[in-house]
Amino acid sequence: MMQTNPIELLAPAGNFESLMAAIQGGANAIYFGVEQLNMRARASVNFCLNDIETVANLCQQQGVRSYLTLNTIVYDHDLAIAKKMMDRAKRAGINAVIAADVAVIGYAHSIGLSVHISTQCNISNIETVRFYAPFADVMVLARELSLRQMTAICVAIQKEQIKGPSGNLVQIEVFAHGALCMAVSGKCYISLHTHNASANRGACIQNCRHQYKLTDVEEGTELAIDNEYIMSAKDLCTLPFLDELLQTGVSVLKIEGRGKEALYVNTVTRVYAQAIASYKAGKFDSEQVATWMQQLQSVYNRGFWSGYYLGQKVGEWANTAGSIAATKKLYLGKGHHYYPKNKIAEFAIEAYPLQVGDRVLITGPITGVVETTIQSLHVNNEGAQPIAQKGDLCAFPVTVPIRKQDKLYKLMNQNVLEG
Amino acid sequence: MLQIIQQRHKCIGCNYCVEAAPDRWRMSKADGKCSLVDATNNKGFWRVQVGEHERAANEVAASVCPVSIIQIR
Repeated sequence: MMQTNPIELLAPAGNFESLMAAIQGGANAIYFGVEQLNMRARASVNFCLNDIETVANLCQQQGVRSYLTLNTIVYDHDLAIAKKMMDRAKRAGINAVIAADVAVIGYAHSIGLSVHISTQCNISNIETVRFYAPFADVMVLARELSLRQMTAICVAIQKEQIKGPSGNLVQIEVFAHGALCMAVSGKCYISLHTHNASANRGACIQNCRHQYKLTDVEEGTELAIDNEYIMSAKDLCTLPFLDELLQTGVSVLKIEGRGKEALYVNTVTRVYAQAIASYKAGKFDSEQVATWMQQLQSVYNRGFWSGYYLGQKVGEWANTAGSIAATKKLYLGKGHHYYPKNKIAEFAIEAYPLQVGDRVLITGPITGVVETTIQSLHVNNEGAQPIAQKGDLCAFPVTVPIRKQDKLYKLMNQNVLEG
Repeated sequence: MLQIIQQRHKCIGCNYCVEAAPDRWRMSKADGKCSLVDATNNKGFWRVQVGEHERAANEVAASVCPVSIIQIR
């Protein structure tokens, strides 16, 4: 089936910087969590209750839809705050809540706040879609289904005319890119068992990403294994087969990564936005895919695989603890002033030197993400110089305004850093 | 005497401390985070002095906290 419906690209926003980066990257919608009741409760930077209105306004101004994630397990003591969050979200004009607990689904429905069923509900068949349909217009499928299974669900929704509360057919959302968990769609208990930190309360310590040894306790022999990262899945990347994914009939593509930096969010969102546009124009081809893949590989990744979408028999495991991103960033300093007339940005260098020819990244909560190459550099009051050192105030052309809270980074290739 | 300290704003509301030391910890229905009973706030650090008889239970509470925001001194 050729996809003719509009496709929504849904990007993660872990903070205001990523929110702007997602919008600039071409996201149609963003999702964000507030306080402790979301799957990134452990994150050092989270939105707070008072940010709900700001996020809603920002998104409305930019024509982007906003969804509040409230998808943890909910206990009795959470009910009051959960309801308060939903009341405020509804008043502020947040478009929907992404929920997993029936208490949240029920309350949102009762106040007329749209519900999206979270992947934490592991929707894997059409009966479950039918079950949730009276409450939700959008449902996120379990991440372990194949394209064939997704297609069957989308076809059945159409055929049986399964409609959500809005009266429209239920829309299906799937994960398109980002980290995969070794457990079924996030229902993991390792972190809970070893460190009391429940993944299902957003406190996962990600010990599945560590290296492990396998020992036969009875005989004390250690078994040889090829890859000691025995529980760390590579990251999902659907770009090479995005055309096939869209042909299943799914309507929303979600990018994982509320814990990731703004540059990551911007790069991945931009690539997928371009790929969707290209697909719609009938121009999606392997040459473009190769270029986009290079861009995706430049930001955080544990290596890519196609998840379970193409029906692989076994998972593919990462072979490093962290990212194998081709590009690394090095903090240089912070914003000082912007001269709008000449479009010159001034930065205070606090760490490493900056040189003419360097590729730099500027990020900030209003600025979002700006990438540029240093063509010329003015240092302190000494005029044009080839290099600015720690402690210097330097200025260079940037086409968009920068702010005092912005950070300046130098972008470097990974092999340069290692070599 | 011992002092119990909690960085309350970092609490994720898991309820484990209540299970370990129910007389000293109470889940707040206002914001879903845990409150240290009788504690006073100083710049985000909630503190209370208690008798030695509370040590064992509260050391368990500190050790099970998934975000390590409880200290016993």
